[in-house]
Amino acid sequence: MMNTSKRLLLSLVALPLAIGIPTAAMAQDEGSGGTLVAAISGEPDQLDPQATTSYNSFQVLENVFDTLVEPDENLQMQPALAEDWTISDDGLTYTFTLRDGVTWHDGSPFTADDVVYSFRRIIDEPMANSWRFSTVTDISAPDDSTVVFTVSQATPNLLSNLGGFKGVAVVQQANVESGDIQTAPIGTGPFKLADYTSGTSIELVRNDDWWGGAPALDGVTFQFIPDPTVALTNLQGGEIQWTDNLPPQQVGSLMDSSEVMVESAPSNDYWYFAANEAREPYSDVRVRRAIAYAIDREALTQAATFGNATINQTAIPATSAWYYDYAPYTRDLDMARSLLEEAGVGDFSMDLMVTSAYPETVTAAQVIAANLAEIGITVEIRTLDFATWLDEQGQGNFDVFFLGWLGNLDPDDFYFAQHRTDGGFNFQGYSNPAVDELLDAARVETDQAARKAMYDDAAKMIVDDASYVYLYNPDVIQGWSPDVEGYTVRGDRAIRFRDVSLAQ
Amino acid sequence: MLQYLLRRAGQALVVLVGAAILVFALIHLVPGDPVRVALGTRFDPEAYEALRRASGLDLPLHEQLVRYLSRAAVGDLGVSFRSSQSVFELLMERLPATISLGGAALVVGLLIAFPLGILSAIRRGSAIDHVARIGSQVGISVPDFWLAILFILLFAGALRILPPSGYVPLSEDPLEWLRHVIMPALTVGLISGSIMTRFIRSSTLEANDQDFARTARAKGLHESTVLRDHVLRNAMVPIITVAGIQLASLLAGVIVVEVVFAWPGLGRLTYDAVLARDYPVIQGAVLLVAAIFLFANLIVDALYAIIDPRIRVR
Repeated sequence: MMNTSKRLLLSLVALPLAIGIPTAAMAQDEGSGGTLVAAISGEPDQLDPQATTSYNSFQVLENVFDTLVEPDENLQMQPALAEDWTISDDGLTYTFTLRDGVTWHDGSPFTADDVVYSFRRIIDEPMANSWRFSTVTDISAPDDSTVVFTVSQATPNLLSNLGGFKGVAVVQQANVESGDIQTAPIGTGPFKLADYTSGTSIELVRNDDWWGGAPALDGVTFQFIPDPTVALTNLQGGEIQWTDNLPPQQVGSLMDSSEVMVESAPSNDYWYFAANEAREPYSDVRVRRAIAYAIDREALTQAATFGNATINQTAIPATSAWYYDYAPYTRDLDMARSLLEEAGVGDFSMDLMVTSAYPETVTAAQVIAANLAEIGITVEIRTLDFATWLDEQGQGNFDVFFLGWLGNLDPDDFYFAQHRTDGGFNFQGYSNPAVDELLDAARVETDQAARKAMYDDAAKMIVDDASYVYLYNPDVIQGWSPDVEGYTVRGDRAIRFRDVSLAQ
Repeated sequence: MLQYLLRRAGQALVVLVGAAILVFALIHLVPGDPVRVALGTRFDPEAYEALRRASGLDLPLHEQLVRYLSRAAVGDLGVSFRSSQSVFELLMERLPATISLGGAALVVGLLIAFPLGILSAIRRGSAIDHVARIGSQVGISVPDFWLAILFILLFAGALRILPPSGYVPLSEDPLEWLRHVIMPALTVGLISGSIMTRFIRSSTLEANDQDFARTARAKGLHESTVLRDHVLRNAMVPIITVAGIQLASLLAGVIVVEVVFAWPGLGRLTYDAVLARDYPVIQGAVLLVAAIFLFANLIVDALYAIIDPRIRVR
C-alpha cells in the first residue's frame, strides 16, 4: 500500500509539470508569412456581407470581400474593384471602369455582371441596405468591364453608399443562390475562407491572386473571446496577436506598456440620448433644452469611456471635413431650472431606456440620473436586452432612450433619417420644416461648400431644439503584439490585415 | 426491469413534446423581434417585410407550431434564423465541447465530493468534517465567473502554464485538450463538487444512523464491511439522484463559464440565440437539453433498479 501511495504521489506531482509545458506558439505556420490570430468579441451571425448587420461579421468580411470603391485612412473614397469613374455633367449618370484580371476565390473571373447582380439584389429583395440606393433607377453593364448607375436626382453621397463598408460588397451569384455564402463565402478580397468551426474560429488564408498584391501573412484566424480580461490575457501571453476587445478601464495603462501595442483613433460614431416628443413634457422644447443644460458632459464621458472619447455637442467628429464647431450648452443648473419653470413643469419622473448590449450606456445613464436629480427630475433607468430595446423604441414605449449611431461616413448618414420629419429612424418624433428643407436640399447639393453650410445650419437647429442631445465621439481602441507590423487603427472600425506582416 | 424502463421512456417522450410546446409559446410571448434584430438599426420597412416573409414568421402562430412539431418528429429541427445552418448540425457541433466540460467537471466534482462527503460523515465532528463543511459552503457561495477569471489570471496570466481560454477536441490533441479543459472543469467542478459533498455527507449520515447499521455493528462486523456493504449501499440512491441531476445540468451548458473561457458549448449557443431571438436554435437547444435531462433521469432510474432490489419489483 505504501509503495502504491508513493507512486501515486509522484505521478500527481509529475502531471502538472507535463501539462504546464506550453506547446509551440501558434503564430508561426508553414510558409514564410505566419498566421495572425485575432480575437473578436463574438461569433459572426453569418458571412453573407449584404445580409448581416453584425459588426463581428464585418470584422472578418472586411478581408474577404471588396467593394466598387473603398474608404482610405482619411475615409475618402478610393478605387477598389472600380479603377476609375466618370460622372455626367447633370450628375445623373455614373460610369465605372472595372479593374482587369480580378478573379473570385474559386478562380472564376469577376465581371460587370457580378456588380449589377450584387446591387440589384440589395435593391430588389430588398435587403437591409436598400435605403442607401433610393435614388438609383437603373444599373447596367454595357460590357464586361463597365458598369453604369443612373440616379433620379443628384446624389452626392452615392460613392460612399456604394463602398463605405462591406455591407455593400460585390458578391457572386452562384455563391448566393446555393446558399453557401452564409457559411462559405466566395469573395474577391485579400484573404479567402479556409475553415469555419462554429463557436471556435474562422480561418482565412492568403489570396495570392488579389488585385492589390498578395498579402504578406499566410493567413488570419479569428477566434471568438467575449470577455475582455480573457482576451487581454491571451494577447499578453502570445496566444493571440490582435484584439479589439480590451477592458476599457485598463486602456490607459496598456497604452504605456511595451508588452502590447495599444492604439486609438477617433471614430465616426456618436452617442446621444433623445426624448420622446410625442409625450408630455418632452414635447416642449424648453424641457428638452433644460435637460441638455443639466448634463455634466465631462463626468458622463469619463464614466462611460474612461476618457477614450471626444466630447461633442454635434454629431460629426472634429476629424471630419464636415465638422461644425457648435457647443451652446455649458452646464448651467440655474438656466435649466428657469427653463423648466417657464415651461410650467414641476418635478417629474423620467423613464430612461438603455441596453445591456452596450454597457457604456448603462454607466452613462447613472451619471444622467445624478445630474437630472439636481433639477428635480427623478430618472428611472430601464436596462433591456437589445432585442427588447429595439421593440420598445420602434413602438415608442419610452420617455428617453440612449444609444449611438455607428459607422457614419457622409453627413447625410449623420442627420437625415434621424431628424427629418417622418425620417426612417426618427424615433423621437422630431419635426421642423426648416430643418427638412435644409436636409432635402443638402441631399442633392453637389457643391461641397454649399452643402456644408446647409448641414451646419440644420445641425444648429437640431442642437438648439435638442432633438438629440449629442454627447461624444468615442475612440476606436485596438491592441496587438509588438510582432505585428503594418497595422493601423481606422476611424471607421474596419479591420484590414492586407498590409500586415508578422516579425519573424 | 425492461417493462419498467420502457414505461419510463414513454413518459419521457410525452414530457419532450410538452417541453417543445412550452418553449415555443414562451419565446413568442417574450418581447423582441428576430427580424428587427437581424436587420440592425437602419433599414427600410420593405426590407423588414421581405425578411419576415422569407423566414415564415408571418404565418399564424398555431401554423408555425404545427409545422415545427411535425418536422421535429422526423428529426428536422429547422435552420438557424440568422445563418441558415441546420439546427441539428449546430447542436451536434457544440455537443463534444459540452460533453468534455460536463464530463470533466463531473469527474472533478465526484473526486472532491465522495472522499470529503463520506469521510466527513463517518468522522463527524472531526477536523476533516469541519474542513469539508466550511469548504463546501465557500464553494457553493463563490460566483462562477469570479472563480473563472481568478483561475485565468493566476494560471494563464501570472504563471503562464495554461492557455487562458478556448477548446481543443480530444480527438485532435489529447494533451492540448487536457490543458484547455482543466480550468473550466475545475471552476465548474469545485462548485458542483461542493453541492455534492454536502449531499453525500447528509445522505451517508442518515444511512449510518439507521437501525440496520447498528445491527451490523452489533453483529461484530468489521467497520469497513459495515460501511461498504450496508451504509454506503443505502446512501447511494439519493447520491445517484443528485449526481444525475448535476450531470444533466452540466450538460445543459454552464453559460457563464462558457462565455468566460470562450468555450464553444451548448450554453453559449443558447445564450447567443436567445439574445438574437433565433427561434429555431432556441427551440432546438431547449429540446436537446430536455432530452439530456430525461436521458439522465432514465439512467438514474436504471441504476436505482440495479442497486435497490425493492425498486425492481415494482
